[in-house]
Amino acid sequence: MIENTVEVKLKTGLQARPAALFVQEANRFQSNIHLQKDDKKVNAKSIMGVMSLAVRNGGTLQIITEGTDEEEAMQALTDYVEKEE
Amino acid sequence: MKVMPMAKVSIVVISHSKQLAEGIVELVSQTKQKDVIVAAAGGTEEEEIGTSVDIITKTINEVYNEAGVLLLFDLGSAFMNAELAAEMLPDMEGSVQIADAPIVEGTYIAAVEAGLGYSLEEVKNAAEKAKTWKKMDG
Repeated sequence: MIENTVEVKLKTGLQARPAALFVQEANRFQSNIHLQKDDKKVNAKSIMGVMSLAVRNGGTLQIITEGTDEEEAMQALTDYVEKEE
Repeated sequence: MKVMPMAKVSIVVISHSKQLAEGIVELVSQTKQKDVIVAAAGGTEEEEIGTSVDIITKTINEVYNEAGVLLLFDLGSAFMNAELAAEMLPDMEGSVQIADAPIVEGTYIAAVEAGLGYSLEEVKNAAEKAKTWKKMDG
């Protein structure tokens, strides 16, 4: 299992369109993937979970991956939220 | 559980307003995967405010595949006509379901979840959770 705290640099935060694309990215991996913000932990492979965190630009969240491709998943998802677009 | 092989749940947006239904389809086209079909069934044959069983039935037929079809509706009688349309398609019994969900958020969520290959039941449940989704923090 890997945990990583990241800052969301996406301009509109992890909401609406970016959230949909994030979930699609997460689903490419076999690993179990969760996101945690404050006390709330959600499944990163479900759009409802990701949307309910409502992470804005500049917010931080923790990505937790666990499984055979946990390192690739962590890298891809970290890169995604740290993109400044 | 994911539906195998590749068929994905289709979505029909039923609104009293043709423009509203088409607008929601346009909106979610920004977030959905290409192979998910989201179609509009808004207004009446006369292009007036209302819904039409014929338009809904025709739209369901156009988008149907073995993964099933999820219907979202806006208000009141749109639900009644959605039910009637589903009843008029006995061959599709069980594979046409109606979601009790806010139409914009529900369609958005359903389109994303359908794109991930989830079953009709799972897509419906996800869309219905949009009711409890808090759009503002705190």
